[in-house]
Amino acid sequence: MPRLPLHCSSGTGVISPFSKAIRLARYGCTNRPFYHIVVIDVKKGERKPPIEQVGVYDPIPNMHNEKLVSFNFERIQHWIAKGAQVSTPVADLLGLAGFLPVHPRTYMRAWRNRRTVEKCS
Amino acid sequence: MLSHHISKLLRRSYSRAISNCRDFTSTNVETDPTKRDPAPFFFNKEIQQCLETLTTLDYNKVFRTRKDGYKQKPPEFKFLTDEELEEARKAAQYRAKKYLQMPPVVKERLEPSEPLCEDPALQDHDTVKYVFTDITYGLKDRQRSIVVREPGGTLRHAFWKERDRMIQTFLPKPERKLQKPKMFEDEYMKDLLNRNEYEFILDRACVQFEPDDPDYKAITREVYEHINAERHFDVLRSTRHFGPMVFHLVWTSNIDNLLYEMIETNRIEDAALLIRLYHMIHPTTKSAVEQCEHTDDVDFIMHYVRLESLKKDKIQKLLQSYKELQREREIVAEGIKQAHGISSENVNINK
Repeated sequence: MPRLPLHCSSGTGVISPFSKAIRLARYGCTNRPFYHIVVIDVKKGERKPPIEQVGVYDPIPNMHNEKLVSFNFERIQHWIAKGAQVSTPVADLLGLAGFLPVHPRTYMRAWRNRRTVEKCS
Repeated sequence: MLSHHISKLLRRSYSRAISNCRDFTSTNVETDPTKRDPAPFFFNKEIQQCLETLTTLDYNKVFRTRKDGYKQKPPEFKFLTDEELEEARKAAQYRAKKYLQMPPVVKERLEPSEPLCEDPALQDHDTVKYVFTDITYGLKDRQRSIVVREPGGTLRHAFWKERDRMIQTFLPKPERKLQKPKMFEDEYMKDLLNRNEYEFILDRACVQFEPDDPDYKAITREVYEHINAERHFDVLRSTRHFGPMVFHLVWTSNIDNLLYEMIETNRIEDAALLIRLYHMIHPTTKSAVEQCEHTDDVDFIMHYVRLESLKKDKIQKLLQSYKELQREREIVAEGIKQAHGISSENVNINK
């Protein structure tokens, strides 16, 4: 796979009139996922230059058993106010952070996990 | 709209947690005199002035070659007029003051205790913690909200250790390490202390830790106590760490060694100032309550030593010898003056 072009972390700043979405873009490499949380046109591909980067998400726990997430809450607020859509994984994270109400999918996952634990024991 | 409100709520609750901590400390002060807050004393203008005077600005030491990785400039020789010279001196003074800015002495920080919200329906949503950092541009490190979602479903503010780690991860400071450097561990510390590398330890601690970090407090305390025990005050004199060290010794009422050293090196004015500082910070002690009638520095020190010092005999003897030495010096100085025929008084007497 060719090396991904890393865009400017503040984004390209080129704003189109189309509707926007806040979603994850996969960076990192094979077997090591790492996501940027970006604002981008809904219909654009994942590898396309984003309008703005508003955070990162590292799904692999570090040595202290933590998953690190960072958000630029000020900009996220701005884009949501402008009517940007929020994708489910991002809404999930924002719900866990206490920024949005907890997403139903998180509750479902929790419930399923509890059920499997019960079954195993 | 909703998000706006929730984020506002988050921020407000965060500030409330901090203010709760503050309330806690303020109640602590009244009940527990040993754990009172040093910050209002340390930042008091008079006390700052005292500490600055005690530091004694020595240009040779302030502008010595520092092994801090910066490239050194070769010295320049210039012809200057008087005004230009005055200006250059002032610039040097300003730079020296910057070098001598004291690291603050504040109370140890307290962990935020209350969780933000508990959601039992989120039990087992994941097996690990999630740490959410706010990377909004232009916030100060203390204002940044950093929250943790536990696997059990509790949302809480991050502990200070986690906070420091996150801030260093996302907004790194130069020269600060993510993990505590090995040199602050006990065995390496002992070795460094035995080699008298006090300034190195203190500088590195300043870079690595926040001033209210319990680790910073422990390290500085250890270094100060070691210096006090070994009486190597001269190593720190005229560096930025001398003021905090004096403050620490005064705060713990342990100034005898420092006083002894000051008298030994003929810094009687400094010694008197040290005792005045002690009275300012401990206004209820014996020597502060019983006013001294003498205005002379030596008598003032005597007054303190008689009432409070644990090493009375030693310091009194030293003061006596100092007095005698001073008298002899006066006699010698007078003799020299007479020999030169300068002294006007003696001339009058002779007439």
